[in-house]
Amino acid sequence: MNDDKTTIIIKRKGQRPTESFDKAKLHQSIVSATLSARAPEGQADRVAHAVTNYVLEWLESRPEVTSHDIRLVATRHLRSHHPDAAYLYEQHRTTL
Amino acid sequence: MAQSHTFDYDLIVIGSGAGGSAAATIAARAGKRVAIIESDTFGGDSPNWSDVPTKALLHVARLYDEARHGDKFGLRVSTLGYNYPTIRAWKELAVKRTGAAGNRKFYENQGISAFNATAHFLSPNEISVNRRHLSAKNFLIATGSSWATPNVQGLTDVPFFTPRTILEAIRPPKSLFIIGGGSHGVEIAQLMATFGTKVYIAEQAARILPKQDSEVGELLEKVLTEQKGVTVLTHSRVLSVVKEGLGKKILISRGGVEKYVKADEILVAAGRAPNLDLGLENASVNYTPKGIDVNENLQTSVKHIYAAGDVLGRGSHTHSAILESRVAAHNILEKVNIVPNYVATPSLIFTTPEIAHVGLSEDDCRKRDLPIKKAVAPLNIIARSNTSDFRDGFVKLITDKKGILIGGTIVAPGAAEMIHEVGLAVKHNLTAAQLADTPHAFLSWSEAIRVAASKLI
Repeated sequence: MNDDKTTIIIKRKGQRPTESFDKAKLHQSIVSATLSARAPEGQADRVAHAVTNYVLEWLESRPEVTSHDIRLVATRHLRSHHPDAAYLYEQHRTTL
Repeated sequence: MAQSHTFDYDLIVIGSGAGGSAAATIAARAGKRVAIIESDTFGGDSPNWSDVPTKALLHVARLYDEARHGDKFGLRVSTLGYNYPTIRAWKELAVKRTGAAGNRKFYENQGISAFNATAHFLSPNEISVNRRHLSAKNFLIATGSSWATPNVQGLTDVPFFTPRTILEAIRPPKSLFIIGGGSHGVEIAQLMATFGTKVYIAEQAARILPKQDSEVGELLEKVLTEQKGVTVLTHSRVLSVVKEGLGKKILISRGGVEKYVKADEILVAAGRAPNLDLGLENASVNYTPKGIDVNENLQTSVKHIYAAGDVLGRGSHTHSAILESRVAAHNILEKVNIVPNYVATPSLIFTTPEIAHVGLSEDDCRKRDLPIKKAVAPLNIIARSNTSDFRDGFVKLITDKKGILIGGTIVAPGAAEMIHEVGLAVKHNLTAAQLADTPHAFLSWSEAIRVAASKLI
């Protein structure tokens, strides 16, 4: 269900149906990227938690963004926690 | 026949401050379909949170200060005091009177669609505003700038003021530590010190107001230190901040020596950062953390998207933002493009004495290796300084080797008005001889301009 505070994500420049922001999905993607950079599971979870919270804060005043925006903002913050994971996260379409 | 694209608007202006307002109005008057989007208060920073309220408070501070020192002229001042809530009410009245603040109706009356929401680019021709998609043929980005938080350990964990938020303070703090000795830091330092706050001002450079010529910073440091009891900490870097009881403890490094300063409140005035978080990547607009890249016609890397004002990261004058907004509107509406002319754009600092500058400074000329002539006329050599009992200030003029005026700095009461004479001379390539030959009224502060100009002949 979409309540008014849920941010709508426009996917692939509107070529795919829009979705509500899914915190768990973002968390899982960050965990995957961090694990791929050979970080321990505990660290991956901690980093993903921090990045997800940062993105949630960023989304507070934004009712609608693109999936590309989420990726950019998450990468920017992930870079300060784990630069290698940030690179993999940013480039996942070409590297993973 | 090729199908033409249809858009909701001819122009969408993002930001209703000085950089956006003029363009929106000009385009609407030209019969274009215009929308303006503001995420904060309509009118932008200058009338709501910056120039207007600060100057309204500085006006009161100057009156109070002059009255307080009136005993030497025979005024009885022993019962003089102030009521800060009433002073704040005066500031609110000044903001209301300008008419620019909260002026949503002003736009709507001109047929401009006004939205109070955050704008976010979804594609080069489409933005999202409260989940509503708006498209336009042209965009003007005028989102302005915000006070930046310097990278100081512990600063994010303690509450601090910015030059915007301190205007809303219930009363002046007992002591205030200001990080940044630029124009805003110095204005607030003088304002708060006049109302009785013990002020510390820390600046990394060798002098406060490092962007002005050395005489300016040195004179203002003397005024603040000797007349207002401000502690000026030049060559000082703030290392960390911690909360201690109700106050804060600030660790600074000064000339390699670390020491603590305790203050009730901290004010961060260490520079502004452009507001760039509006999905510029989705629109393919090139930018750096310093600002949006534009060409001389104020076009971004995407031809139909323009930018004006503080978001360009070039400086922060309201009058420059208005100029850029007009130029952007012209270039959007007309086929022949124009470029903004920044020559003779004055910069002002509303301290007592006021500081005004136009054209090139001596430092600018030195960096460019320009052969120049300069002359300084101290205020105390003109008659007005005697009748007003005010001696701290000067007029400094700079000419090229042919005697043509290329810059000027004035530190004097009324410098903000006086500088326009020098600006006119710089803009129209007048010589120092022509300026000196122009009659200047006896007992006006402007006599100092004539004296400085005549020294250059």
